[in-house]
Amino acid sequence: MQPKMRHTLIALFLLFPLFASIAAAEALPAGDEIARRINARNEGEVVSRFVTMAMTDRGGTERVRETKSFRKYFGKEKRVVIFYLSPANIKDTAFLTYDYPEADRDDDQWLYLPAARKVRRISASDRGDYFLGTDFTYEDIRKETKVGIEDYAWKTLGEEMIDGHRCFLVEQIPVNEKTANELGYGKVQSWVDAEIWMMRQAKFWDVAGNPLKTSQFKDIKPIQDIWTAHQLISENHKTGHKTVFTFKDVDYGRNVKDEIFTEDALRRGF
Amino acid sequence: MSEPIRSDRASKFFGWVTDHPKALVVAGVLLMLSAAAFIPGLTKDTSSDAFIAKDNPARVYRDQVKKVFGLSDPFVIAIINHGPTGVFNPETLRLVQWLTDRVKKISNVDPDGVVSLATESNIVGTVDGMQVSKFFDPPPATQAQANVIRAAIADFPLYQGSLVARDSTATLIVAEILDEIKSETTYNAFMALVKEAPQIPGVELHVAGEGAISGYLYNYIDRDATRLNPIVAIVITLVLFIAFRTVWGTLLPNVVVLATVAAAFGTMAAGGISFYVITNGLASILIGMAVAEPIHIFTHYYEIGRAHPDLSHRDIIVRTMIETWKPLTNTILTTVVGFISLYLSGGMPPMQYFGLFAAIGVTAAWLYGMMFIPAALMLVKFKPSPAIRGGNTTDRYGRAVVALGNFSIRRPRLILTVTFMIIIISGMGASRLIIDEALIENFQQGEPIYHADKAINQVMDGTNYLDIVVETQTHEGLFNPDYLRRMDALQRFVETLPGVGGTTSVVDYIKQMHRSINENRKDAYSIPDNRDLVAQLFLLYSASGDPTDFEEEIDYDYRRANIRASINTSYYTNNRIVIEKLDQYLAEHFNTNEITAHLSGRVNVNHHWLKTIATTHFVSEGIALVISWLMAAWLLRSFSAGLFTLVPVFASVLLVYGVMGFGGIWLAVGTSMFAAIATGLAIDFGVHTTQRIRELMQSGTGTFEERMAQLFPSTGRALFFNFAAMGLGFGTLMTSVVPPLVSFGGLVTVAMTVSFLASIMVMPAMAKLFRPRFLGFAPLPEEVAQNKPLEPAYSVSTVEKGR
Repeated sequence: MQPKMRHTLIALFLLFPLFASIAAAEALPAGDEIARRINARNEGEVVSRFVTMAMTDRGGTERVRETKSFRKYFGKEKRVVIFYLSPANIKDTAFLTYDYPEADRDDDQWLYLPAARKVRRISASDRGDYFLGTDFTYEDIRKETKVGIEDYAWKTLGEEMIDGHRCFLVEQIPVNEKTANELGYGKVQSWVDAEIWMMRQAKFWDVAGNPLKTSQFKDIKPIQDIWTAHQLISENHKTGHKTVFTFKDVDYGRNVKDEIFTEDALRRGF
Repeated sequence: MSEPIRSDRASKFFGWVTDHPKALVVAGVLLMLSAAAFIPGLTKDTSSDAFIAKDNPARVYRDQVKKVFGLSDPFVIAIINHGPTGVFNPETLRLVQWLTDRVKKISNVDPDGVVSLATESNIVGTVDGMQVSKFFDPPPATQAQANVIRAAIADFPLYQGSLVARDSTATLIVAEILDEIKSETTYNAFMALVKEAPQIPGVELHVAGEGAISGYLYNYIDRDATRLNPIVAIVITLVLFIAFRTVWGTLLPNVVVLATVAAAFGTMAAGGISFYVITNGLASILIGMAVAEPIHIFTHYYEIGRAHPDLSHRDIIVRTMIETWKPLTNTILTTVVGFISLYLSGGMPPMQYFGLFAAIGVTAAWLYGMMFIPAALMLVKFKPSPAIRGGNTTDRYGRAVVALGNFSIRRPRLILTVTFMIIIISGMGASRLIIDEALIENFQQGEPIYHADKAINQVMDGTNYLDIVVETQTHEGLFNPDYLRRMDALQRFVETLPGVGGTTSVVDYIKQMHRSINENRKDAYSIPDNRDLVAQLFLLYSASGDPTDFEEEIDYDYRRANIRASINTSYYTNNRIVIEKLDQYLAEHFNTNEITAHLSGRVNVNHHWLKTIATTHFVSEGIALVISWLMAAWLLRSFSAGLFTLVPVFASVLLVYGVMGFGGIWLAVGTSMFAAIATGLAIDFGVHTTQRIRELMQSGTGTFEERMAQLFPSTGRALFFNFAAMGLGFGTLMTSVVPPLVSFGGLVTVAMTVSFLASIMVMPAMAKLFRPRFLGFAPLPEEVAQNKPLEPAYSVSTVEKGR
């Protein structure tokens, strides 16, 4: 985050009670304000966790993949590595990605194929590409619990309860056609928890305006003081395909070595 | 004819009818309106699937396959450029981008289901990895950049022939649609888009694909029906006017027509039965047939009115009905039999329903003829028809019929010799009959979609898909390299079959991915030996592909896969060979206990219902012939007489086979209905003529010629107008823009003409020559004694009355 923006945020944060008292009691925060609040949340410099990826096709057939994943910030550069644990035929396959903060610099990605004993570099993915056969896009995965403020025009539509929590309903329209095409979304509606500024639900429409998918963030609880969703569900309304990520043993405090984010580590395993 | 009015059941009934004219007319109108009220609820179904029963195993299996692999019938835009660089130049590729962007915005198009050079990615291996990148984004600005794309496609076997023509002259934009019911408006949107696209010299744009064909067929037949039916109605009205030259003689039969059409389409809508492609011909046919009965009634009505000016109007009506109800009921019954045998043949649903609702319509026509016409006539005054003068005086139409008839009685041997020769020639033609069908042949050759289909199938691998579903017994069974190699061999075999342009399956992707992780070496375009590597290649692909990218090729637990063969023709005769050879290969070289393959897809489903055409045709014709014969035999109380009534039927059906054989007209969906329908109609001519000849032989006086002199101006003239109305009704179908309807209309018109000629020329000639007893001929005692050939010219004078 830019220092200037951070100052603005702090200023806004301090001024918020004042705004609140001036405005009528039912006045809702503006869309961009909600977006800034979401992005101001702490998500930890480092995290390690077991992720079970369960994908189901329209016919109800399920593929379950168990993985161990690590994420670490190197300055503003984010590195993620995923080691596949099961099923047997993809065990030890590993995926590594470097996500650079510069907007014009493509990510670097590698995949280790144990059956060929080869690490292969994979070309950078577009933001709207689907991530490893799931219903989440690379953009969804990169942002994790955050949002792309600059990609959308934000508008607060109202308040609704989701899973018993008061949420602001925000509508996001991509700022231009190019962005919409990159993201693969023509419109997004998000339900953002009014207390912890975390998304609890989001609905997506494709660029032609057809309902595309619905994502839900469940089982949200604090781990080492960081609010963490332990289940992400995304269901594609057009393909009938569904993905459920379940997180276990989430740890923001563990020391994750830098070496684990290298090609060599992909071959060795974690 | 001259018997007094008897007070039997018929006269009681028609007495009752003429006693309640107002109530019956009101009831008739109300009944007609209430049936017509259902018509707006009619739904259309122009899909090929309509021709195969929902529970047919081939269709059930195809639907399952469709569900598993998410296949639909797409819309296709072809961009064709015959210039030196083909489609690989900046202008054409910019157009591909332009069209792709806009196709994605057409409502009902799934924007994520649009595939073109502008959306697809190239999978290539590099020194250290795999590169998945768009062929272009944005479109190339220079010819050099376009050449790079051309080289990339040349190195990517999967897209050759399917996305880009192998000779580079064409590329496709393939769009999956969300709702097939809306394909008509979607087709219009595609056509509008192609029209407003930037014009590039030398570039042709075409819209085709199975989705487009059924979408367009929908509005194609609608426009056709809207145009055809009024023409038929006008033609029939003209025929009626010429026949009677009176207001009521022209108007009342038209009311019967309306009631007939309302009954058929009203019950169709009420029964929830769809309007199919071939249903389009039903209205015209019903219009033609509905007037046949009123023509006979009015002919009698005006004849009696002329002959008995002393009778009251009511007596004229009752007498007309008493004299006509029996032959009319008989002919209606035989016509209904023709249609019902179509229904009973158990063939394609649209044909069965065609038969059923035509039968319902004809029954309504009979009901209105028997009750509405006499009741309505009661409400007006008798006004003689200037066209019917009674007795033996007749108009030019009657005189023409008399001339024809007299000629045949004078030269019976000549007539029968000519008939025999025609039969021989027809038989030769019939032996050349071809059974074939192709959906695209439903359009005229000048139609853009026809042109588009031909153009695309010429340069691409084909837009007709045959799916071969490979199934293994275990979860992830298809990671087994042995099975993949077996599939590969199957694909190579399929590609040798006629019309097959190419095949694609997950095996092709696996080979491409395997090559890409091996520094793009050509020799690595192969199936890996290690099953885990196959699994890992899929994971590798998922790093840049969509979760459902392989949905059309392999199921989610890698147990079943689909091999899709693209065939450049939808002709039944071609695809029958493909399917038969493939079935044999699967049985002999592919199927084991662990892995099996089954055929599916549009081509297979179409094959399954098309192969029933011949059986359906001959079964329905067989049923029609047997029932017609039995009914005629029952009516005339003689099996031989029943057979005699079939003379026009045999003559017309055989001649039509001959015309089809020599004219290269296929026995196809539309044309295969002609025989059963023609039988039902032709036998009417036979029944009328047989009954009248017998009646004249039994009740008349004089020589055979003298007796027949009464046949031609009255029954013969009515038969002529009967033929004219039906012939013109069916003949109008020939102005249709739907080629199968044109053939169908033409064939039935030929059949009607032959039936008419057979009934007034061949039948009397046969009667004269063979002197059959069942017609009332009796052998002269001296003839029997001398065993000499019969001389009917003087034998008729000795005919005994009655049987």
